[in-house]
Parts: sequence; structure tokens; C-alpha cells
Amino acid sequence: MSSKTLLRKNHFKDPVAYLLIAPFYLLFLYFIFIPAVEVVMYSFTDFNMFAPKHFIGLQNYMKLLKDDVFLKSVKNTLIYLVCTIVPTMALGMLTAVVMNIKWVRTKAARTLVFTPYIVSMVAVSMVWMLLYDPSHGILNRILQSLGMSPKEWLLDPKWALFSIIMMSIWKGIGYNMIIFLAGLQGIPQDYYEAADVDGAGKWHQFLHITIPSLAPATFFLFVTGIIASFNVFEQVNVMTAGGPVNSTTTVVHQIYLRAFTEFKMGYASAQSVVLLLGVVLITLINMKFGASKHKA
Amino acid sequence: MTQTTAKRWIVQGLVIAFACIFMLPFIIMLVTSLKSMAEIQSPAFQLLPRSFLFSNYAEAMSQGNWPRYFLNSVTVTTITVGIGIIIMSVAGFAFARLNFAGRDLLFLLSLVGLMIPEQVIMIPVFMKIKGIPFAGGNDVWGDGGTGWLNTYWGLIVPHLAHPFGMFLFRQFFLGFPKELDEAAKVDGCSRLRSFFSMYIPLSLPIFATVALLKTINNWNQYTWPLIITNSDEMKTVQLALSMFKSEAGLQWNYIMASTTLIALPMLLLFIFLQKYYVQGIVTSGVKG
Repeated sequence: MSSKTLLRKNHFKDPVAYLLIAPFYLLFLYFIFIPAVEVVMYSFTDFNMFAPKHFIGLQNYMKLLKDDVFLKSVKNTLIYLVCTIVPTMALGMLTAVVMNIKWVRTKAARTLVFTPYIVSMVAVSMVWMLLYDPSHGILNRILQSLGMSPKEWLLDPKWALFSIIMMSIWKGIGYNMIIFLAGLQGIPQDYYEAADVDGAGKWHQFLHITIPSLAPATFFLFVTGIIASFNVFEQVNVMTAGGPVNSTTTVVHQIYLRAFTEFKMGYASAQSVVLLLGVVLITLINMKFGASKHKA
Repeated sequence: MTQTTAKRWIVQGLVIAFACIFMLPFIIMLVTSLKSMAEIQSPAFQLLPRSFLFSNYAEAMSQGNWPRYFLNSVTVTTITVGIGIIIMSVAGFAFARLNFAGRDLLFLLSLVGLMIPEQVIMIPVFMKIKGIPFAGGNDVWGDGGTGWLNTYWGLIVPHLAHPFGMFLFRQFFLGFPKELDEAAKVDGCSRLRSFFSMYIPLSLPIFATVALLKTINNWNQYTWPLIITNSDEMKTVQLALSMFKSEAGLQWNYIMASTTLIALPMLLLFIFLQKYYVQGIVTSGVKG
């Protein structure tokens, strides 16, 4: 009997499967799938937790366009996105390349670089708040010893978002490094040997072998990096609570404030839908152009 | 020859030096946790504490109800990971190994779930937790009370099942040869029995990977506990740390002692089980 007929014979044969997927699937539907539909429905209502909700069409969305704080949060989120992704990926790739050199003793160094990624965002936020402390934080002590004037890092609207960005880059390098390292280890050594024979220099090899071979990893990190940036919240809420004067508020921080301190669930849902559209758009682009990663 | 060796030593030294600069925030965390407040505020900065005040740790833990916060985090993480692993592994097994009507469609639908960030759906999930029937004074329609808000249930149940963990299991089980199933069947072994007596013992690495990823994620969680708890006794360690301020302003030595204590368990887990954790990260990233 060929395996194909065996398969057909077995078709519909395992009703026990429904029992096995039921707990997972019901939880998935109830806590992920249905809420995703509901958040869209809420966004067309004036839902505020205390009164019955009414359908109000696109009013929430119209209001969003005139909400300066929300627009500011979109702008901050985009600044955060651009300013974290590029340095994190560049530094992640650089670290991975160094850690991948055979004779560099890397296990310990690799673990150290990955550590910030393991430690919770709350914990690293507290640590960086100490580093940024205007009077006894180490950053200002270093600046002063170099003869520069100290800064009010998290208290100055000019510097606050930048301060959060610096911390986030530091936290993200380890993750990028691990993904790039996996990519590097997938490059066949023959490529480099052939290039050596052809007399190509190290820099040339890096540009023409390493970088192209890392394209799938780069693309993956780029897409996940964008989605993660859309959702930035924890470090903002812990370190600055969106201040000073909304200079660090982000889209998710706005959703949190509107929904869970003001209970404007309908309005906050419209903000969530904006975020969801962004994520879906990036995911679709990923599906269209990311297919090449399976070839590598 | 000796010149290359020397060069290599220098590069290795540089790498270690850079790694140490990279670790500076954690070094500051540790040394600050052992200093006195007077020393932290003193304008003459010294990296190492003049005397190591290990008593800071005990004092930090006695400010606020830290034993309770740790108990909350440990309870929530253990139950979420323990039950979550069972739920996701059996579902992964069914999707990978069993034939049933609608399998591909159901699987595709759960793929969609991977796209939906937690932050986007936090409002409806909050309403669901608030509206659990017969809980927290609710009636059969889920009205009138607070449901599972501010309870362990509310902290645990929404995070039991995530498509990502199920996918990792499914991918792993797909790697088993089909002949294994057929042999088991010929021997009269039921599907469930073959799962428990064959698949599980051969799959300990993937169980370790998912358990570790889920443990670290859960322990580090901040947003969800922030939203659904409102009493001091339901706080998890992350939430408690983020609100940890005393009347005397920011007592950095106590704050850093607490930070060290909540970071340490996950760091130790990671250091000992690094291989499994990194495997999970890499599988999700590179192999799709």
C-alpha cells in the first residue's frame, strides 16, 4: 500500500484531534481572534464603560485627526522607529560578525551582549533612570569630567525621547546579534574559500558574500523591528510616563491613557485600529517580499 | 606565528572590554545596590562601594510587600507555563500528526493570530476578563461585577495559549518520520498513547525551549498586570518595581537591590539553559 492511499484511508480518522486542539483553539478564539474583531467594532462606538454604547460611525476617527496629542504620539512613535531600527541592526550585525570569528573567545562575550534582552524592560528602565539621574547618574558625571555641562536627560523635552531611544538600542542589540549569528553560521565556508582563491580581500568578501547572505535575517529583523516599534510602551510608561509635555508619549501609551485612565474605550479602540492597520500593512509587505527568505 | 597570537590576544581583550562597557548599566546596578544613600549622593564618584552593604537587600525587601509580589509572580508564571505547555503541545501534535476535517483552515486561522499584537487588543481582552460570568459578582451575562479583574485567573488565563508556542511544537513534531506513527499503529498503540510514550520523551528539547521562552516572557510581563490589577496584594514583581518609590525620594540603593532580585532568576535560568532559549529565538527568526 502506498503512503498516499494510507493517508487517504486515514482521512477523517482522528476525531480525538478536536479534543486535543479544543483548549488551545477556544482560548485563541476568545482572547486573540474575537478581540481583534471587537476592537474594530468598538472603534465605531462611543463606548466608555459606564453608559450603553452607541454606533457613531467615523466620529472617533475624525476626532483622531484633530487630536494634537495623538498626532504627537504618532510622530514620536515614528521617530522612535527610525532612530532605533537602523543603529540596532547595524550594531547587531557588527557584533555578530566579530563574535563569529573563530579564534575570538566569544561564549562569555556573547552571553553578556545578550543579557539586556533577557532582563525585563521594567528592570532595565529602572537601571537607566539611575544612569540618567541628573545629579548622581553616571552619564552626567562622565559629561562633567569631560568638561561638558550636565543634562536633564529624561526631564528635558529635547532629550527625553532620545534618552529612551538610546536605552532601547542597547537592549535590542543582543537579539539582533543572535539572529545575525544564525544567519552567518548558515553561510557555506566554500564561498569564502573560493573568494580567497580568487584573491578577494576581506572587505570585498564582506560586501559581496556576507551582506547578501544575511539579507533574509536583515529583512526579518527589519519587519519585526518595525512592529515592535509600533508597540513601544513599557519603557515610556516607566521612565517618563509620556512626559515632559508629551515629548515621549507613543501610540500605545495614548491607548493606555485613554482606555484605562479615562475609560474612553471607543476612542482608544480607534487608536488601536490605526495601530492594527500599520501592523497588517507591514505584515502584508513582509508576505509579498519576504518569500525569498525561504530560498536562502 | 607569535605575532598572530599576540594580535589575537589583543582582539580578544578588546572584545571582552567592549562587552564589559556594554554591561556597564548592570555593573552600576550591582554596585549601587550595595552603597549607602549618602555615598550615592556624594559628588566624589567611586565605582566600588566603600563598604558593601548587603543589608540593603533585606531592607529593600521589607519596604512594601515584596514576599507577596514574588509569590504572585512565581504563582502566575508557574501555572501559566505549566498549563500552557500542555495545551500548546497537544494542539501542536494534533495539527502536525492527526488528520481531521478542517485542519488546514483552522491552522491558517491561528496563523492570523500571530500577526495581532497584544497591545492592539488589550481593550477587548480587558472587557472579556471583566465580563466573565459568575465571577467577581457578575451575573450570568457577565454584568454587574468585576469578573476576573484583579485576580490570578485574569493574570493567567489570557496567556495560556499563544499560536507561537503551538507553532514551535508543530514544527518539531512534523520532523518525526511518518513510519513511527504507522509502526505504533500496527502495534496497536493509540494516538494518545503514542503521544505520551513516544513523542514526549523524544521531544524534551522543544518542551524546554517553549517552557523557557514562556517563563521569561511571563516573568517579565508588565503591561497586562498594570491594566488588570488594582490592589497592592495582586501586584507582580515588575509592577511593584515600576512603582517602587519611597517617601524619601528615589532610594536608588533599594531600587537597584530589588531590580537585581527580579532580574537574577531569569538570568540564571538563561545562563544554564542558554542553548534551548537561543534555539527558540533562532527558530522563530530564521527558519520562519
